[in-house]
Amino acid sequence: MTRPIAIRAAAILLGAGCVVWAAAPPVPKGLANLALVLAGCGVAGGALRLILGGVPVPRDTFLLPAPVRAWLWFLETLRRVPWEEGAVIAIAWLEVLHSSRPRHTAILGAALIAYLLATHLAESGATVTSLRPQVRVLAAGAGLLALGAGAGMLPAAGPGAGSALLRLVAAAALIAAAGLVLPYVAPSAGDDGAGQGGRWGSTERRG
Amino acid sequence: MADGSEFSLRWRSSRHARRLLTLGLAGLFIATVARRPEFAGLAAPALLLLAAGRSQRRPPQVRLQARLSTRRAFEGELVAIDVAAEGQDGCSVRWTLHPGREIEPAGATDADGPQARFTFSPQRWGRRQVGTVDVVLRDRWRLAEGHLTVELPALDCYPAPAQQRTQVVLSRLPNRLGEHAARTFGEGIEFAGVREYVPGDRQRSINWAASTRRGRLQVNTFAAERSQDVVLLVDGTSDVGEPGSSAVDLALRGAAAAARAYLDARDRVGVITYHWGAVGWLVPGLGRRQVYRIIDSMLASERGGAGSSGAGYGMSVRRLPRAALPPGALVVVFSPLLDQRFVETLRDMRERGFTMLVIDVLNAEPPARSGSTNRMARRIWRMEQEAIRFSLRELGVPVVHWDGIGSLDLPLAPYSRRPLMTAGSRR
Repeated sequence: MTRPIAIRAAAILLGAGCVVWAAAPPVPKGLANLALVLAGCGVAGGALRLILGGVPVPRDTFLLPAPVRAWLWFLETLRRVPWEEGAVIAIAWLEVLHSSRPRHTAILGAALIAYLLATHLAESGATVTSLRPQVRVLAAGAGLLALGAGAGMLPAAGPGAGSALLRLVAAAALIAAAGLVLPYVAPSAGDDGAGQGGRWGSTERRG
Repeated sequence: MADGSEFSLRWRSSRHARRLLTLGLAGLFIATVARRPEFAGLAAPALLLLAAGRSQRRPPQVRLQARLSTRRAFEGELVAIDVAAEGQDGCSVRWTLHPGREIEPAGATDADGPQARFTFSPQRWGRRQVGTVDVVLRDRWRLAEGHLTVELPALDCYPAPAQQRTQVVLSRLPNRLGEHAARTFGEGIEFAGVREYVPGDRQRSINWAASTRRGRLQVNTFAAERSQDVVLLVDGTSDVGEPGSSAVDLALRGAAAAARAYLDARDRVGVITYHWGAVGWLVPGLGRRQVYRIIDSMLASERGGAGSSGAGYGMSVRRLPRAALPPGALVVVFSPLLDQRFVETLRDMRERGFTMLVIDVLNAEPPARSGSTNRMARRIWRMEQEAIRFSLRELGVPVVHWDGIGSLDLPLAPYSRRPLMTAGSRR
């Protein structure tokens, strides 16, 4: 299996895994079935877009037969619709329908980030090493994800005391603090080693 | 753009950034509404990536260069264009070529990297815009994209010359050294006959076998080698037929082939292009570069302007200078013979004593429609065309048909095997 195919397969499997993870166990409330269908459609549409992204489209479609034009319209729709955004919203909706399960949600968050990064790598043709400059930021994000899950697992101070709101404020403060610190933590644009093909002959072509 | 120009970029969020933003906002929204802090944690990595990505450098302008491998190419010839970006500040560059009209890409139309090369081939003669190229710069984290569309330089496309190896040679050639065997004796290499020795003849030209038989010294004689003036008369009035094999396409390709063939035989070749009564011309000349001058002149006339030096435009055929149409020149005409005024011009030239050969490049007919009237009209049209060709033949102007597919040698074979009688020698 070549590397681009492996990344595509990973993106598709991560998307499907997120849907299953967020949907299980099934809950009969809040239009859960609709959310599940939407999430499935979003992941499937994104997968089809990744698979059919390389299909060439003729420049002049005016005189083509109707089936070919319908096929081209289908390809164009696949490319235009924001499938992954829809899938992310539907998956979050599915997750929120369940009662509080912070550890489960944290794993889902990590899987969703991995899904979006894999989709990005698959459609841009970049390699996994191109994510190396973002490792520190992703690590900080993973820490915040764990903190958020930890905050979710804290017992409530008391009914009606706004303890959940307090936890939310704490998490937001953590995010804001990280955002302030990040420009100093994140590597500057010039010092990472992600080189680009700057020479003749190193240009990469795709058909 | 060959020496590089600055272009402004339009920066906007990438698809990846929009997805991360969706995840971040959805997580925060749910955390606020449902009062579940773990969803804030779910949003945190995406928002952190977006926040950190803001520190990436995004140049407002970029310097682009585009260089064609050649400014002139023949139809179907492969041409490359090199594009390069400078000052992209570490951003990755993606190029997408959108070819112009009659430009056929020969390879990939997408490329990555600060420099790229696209190959293509122009499909039809004329001044062709290569097209446009979309440039997309992405920052290192690919969270923002800078877009830019640049028009690529134009290319002069020459008609692909047809095949022609043989030449039609006049029976009476001007007294100028060349490569065609003339009917007069001279210092050529083609054997012409045997005559009696006279004092002054070279000893090495004595034909000893003939001398022994006749008992007197006999010497070999040779044909003189002369060149001729050839004027290509191209009728660009009626461009009928399918694009790519229309009458003007065939006329230009045939004229380019004839120019090449006659110039290879050291003849002086010029061109006259005819457009609705007005003409453009290039005086006959010698040498390899004359082929390109002739094609340039024809293309310039198609665009309605004068060509290079030694060329003119706008006069009628009757008032052409002697340099453009030398007396005694062979006039090779490429025309579909659809314009009555052009046919009259040919008759007039013939009456003025020019030796002409018409190559008929008409490969189209009126569309076949049902109905007796349409059939009758089509038949009358055919008869008219036959009559035009018959009248020219009656005047002593040979008319041959060329389909534009095969070699020009085939239709010209009856006239290239022996010298074409000049107008004066027939009287």
